Amino acid sequence: MNCEVCQLKELEVEHFEIREVLRCILHTIVFHRALGLVRPKDVDLELFEITYVQCGDVELEKKIDEKIDHFISWVEKHPNKKSQICLSFYEVKSKQPSWFTNKTERLYWEQWYVNLNVTQHPKHHSSKSHHTKLVVDPGESATEERSCRRAMVEASLREVLFQIIKFVNEKKDHVPPISEGVIYFPYEITIPSSSDSAFGMDMIKRMLHSGHPTMLS
Amino acid sequence: MTSTHTNSHTEAAKMEQVITEFFYKSLLIILESRSSYVSSRNYSGEQTVSSPSSSSSSSSSVRPRDKWFNLALRECPSALENLDLCRQSNFEPVVVDVVLEQKPLDWGPASFSPTSDLVRNLSSKNKNSYFWNCDQDESGSEMKCEKIIERWFVQHESRKGRDCNSGNRRSSCNNLSALYKKLILMLRSLYVTVRLLPAYNIFRDLNSSGLIRSFKLVPRVSSFVEPLARKEEVDMQRFWFTPVDTSCGRLCLSVLYYSSISDMSSESSTPMSPQFIPDYVGSPLADPLRRFPSLPVSHGSPSSLPFSRRHSWSYDHYKASPPLVSFSPSPTHSESNALVSNPTSRGLPPMSLPPHPPETSLAHKRNTNFDEYCPSPNFSASPSPSPSPSLPIYIPRTHLSKDLLRSESAPVNIAAPKLANSPALSGKQNLPPSPPLKITRAGTSRADNIRVPAETDATVDKIFSFGKEDCWKYSGVKAFSNSSPRISCSRSSSRSLQDDFDYSEFPCPFDVEDGEMMDPGSRKSQDAAVGALVRMLKKAPPLRQNVSLNFSEASRPEILSNSIPKQSQISEAVTVEHAAAPNIASFRLVASKTTTDALEELRGYKVMKNLLLSEGGKAYTSNVASAAEHSSTSKGT
Repeated sequence: MNCEVCQLKELEVEHFEIREVLRCILHTIVFHRALGLVRPKDVDLELFEITYVQCGDVELEKKIDEKIDHFISWVEKHPNKKSQICLSFYEVKSKQPSWFTNKTERLYWEQWYVNLNVTQHPKHHSSKSHHTKLVVDPGESATEERSCRRAMVEASLREVLFQIIKFVNEKKDHVPPISEGVIYFPYEITIPSSSDSAFGMDMIKRMLHSGHPTMLS
Repeated sequence: MTSTHTNSHTEAAKMEQVITEFFYKSLLIILESRSSYVSSRNYSGEQTVSSPSSSSSSSSSVRPRDKWFNLALRECPSALENLDLCRQSNFEPVVVDVVLEQKPLDWGPASFSPTSDLVRNLSSKNKNSYFWNCDQDESGSEMKCEKIIERWFVQHESRKGRDCNSGNRRSSCNNLSALYKKLILMLRSLYVTVRLLPAYNIFRDLNSSGLIRSFKLVPRVSSFVEPLARKEEVDMQRFWFTPVDTSCGRLCLSVLYYSSISDMSSESSTPMSPQFIPDYVGSPLADPLRRFPSLPVSHGSPSSLPFSRRHSWSYDHYKASPPLVSFSPSPTHSESNALVSNPTSRGLPPMSLPPHPPETSLAHKRNTNFDEYCPSPNFSASPSPSPSPSLPIYIPRTHLSKDLLRSESAPVNIAAPKLANSPALSGKQNLPPSPPLKITRAGTSRADNIRVPAETDATVDKIFSFGKEDCWKYSGVKAFSNSSPRISCSRSSSRSLQDDFDYSEFPCPFDVEDGEMMDPGSRKSQDAAVGALVRMLKKAPPLRQNVSLNFSEASRPEILSNSIPKQSQISEAVTVEHAAAPNIASFRLVASKTTTDALEELRGYKVMKNLLLSEGGKAYTSNVASAAEHSSTSKGT
């Protein structure tokens, strides 16, 4: 079984938009992969005029929020950096136990990469924009700029969602069969770790030792 | 063979059932997000605690139909109505048109909406006038406009030249499970897609805001529809869901939609919905006793504002009571922002909706309307100071000077002692010429009546000019009756009109007994004559300033000239009478004067009296002196 990979369009978001954007994207993906009996839950974003869908599972919502919190913490420590969140779906396969591996392994059949570019607040007239709280003369231009930027982010987010829909529609064959009593496929959310290099190492580590149950989830 | 045949039939039947249920499910997903009813949107919010598969106890709440494609949705009546359409064995395509309908532009009071003219105006000014398809309704009385903003296609394309029932059982079973899985995925993406399209925002706002809208979303399901106009289709975008192969064809799902439509619901700042408030504070409906019975009370349009509305222009009212008719175009504020070609916008019908006029212009229009609808003053012709409807003059707030609105002083009256102390009369020199104001008692400290401002104000003139002609119309008849025209501009209060014109209790130093008439021919004392003049002035209709000014300024020299008699003191009184007699007629002419002017005249009369007395004495003395001189002269010659 091959692993389908979908690189989503990069979104340029501000710090306060991260939570909503990630919730929207991650829940949309998971909803498409929650093929068990669900009662969908519509959620309206507060920052954007977009309604996304959750599959209604409380545990799932909790886990996603935890991951988002970790990501936000990482972003705060690494400002102005492009980041990537990986949502992977896998199957648990049993295999021959050995010294370095467990009995089960994870076979990833789908990976979604959410690319974010977290930006700072818009620069003010003052050079010390990071610490300046007073705006010299925001006027209407700043408001217009803000609303324009917000509209752009919303449009980009909408594009990403349509990208997800198209991907789900175009590629169906790789999706495993539905197990009885299971709402959604096992998944894994990978966020950048404390250092950039460690993030890449984590990915390699995961590839080499795929099936390690508790490394990154 | 028979078992294979049976199995194939079974498989075919299952396939048919799956396809049928797919039709129904897709229809349900579309309709429940486009029909104005309680959709799964609200329904699913309740189920966060109990997921259908999280506990066995919740499984009982899942209907059999919910289990199809593992998507539990609330039932949609319109989908159920079209279930037969989905159950067609030949799988005719199902087309769902999501139509945006403008409600008819009805100017009747019952359905008045401030947004009606906005919609109408925009429709007339719409650049893309083809957006709306407008037709007369069946009765021909209303113009109905609608627009297809989405068109969904659900169809099963049969594969020709191939036996659908071929294949062994195992492959069929695999096919069925695979098909089922793919249909689940398709329906998941359909569920997400319907919420990302622009029409969903309209649906959401219509369902959640509760505001009165001039448009509505109406999904129409049919098997066959007329193709859209080419220019319409050009403007629309199409989204294809990847078809899913079935054993004898493929299931296709697609949508045509407008992507570049603006947000009709961007009206976070105007939540008020237009409504007519019949029982506002001070309205006749709120206080039935104050209602003028002969005047209609209607609702809705400003043209039907009750003419019997009184007292609504006092300052306190404006502070306390809400506007009678809210002209806030809030419900269609966003719908009036018909912008086009903004792909980043939320996507709502554009263009044909009127722009939201600024508040100032609306306010101006409102006041203009109020001016037009200002009722003619209704003078009570009651012969006695019994409670009777006072003058219902509606004066738009903008036409009232601030001083007028904020005045809380007691109304002026003719009685000297009180008037002298009245703060309202200090320095009153430039009063409006013809005031149909209440001539009422002093001592009412309540802010029930409007004080005439000191400074002349053109707007105030306009206010009073509303009733001026009618003042003349009615007051001339009543000049010398025992009653005075009840012209009241005060707001409603609990006190009766009897309090206003009860002059009998008011002491007047010059007053004479009731019933005494001023007979020009009768011989009276100077005091009685002046008193009669004062009494006449009290009961006289409103004075005209020009005449009164002439009277006040010219009459003194006249009287003075007449006050040099060649006769004795008795003749002096006669001259006073002669002076007074021709002035009686002029009193009628000056009836429109204000009470302040009357006060001035009263003072003038006092002066006259004193003058007369003094002149009388001097005249006598001078007569005597002249007679003595004459006699001495004649003696001398």
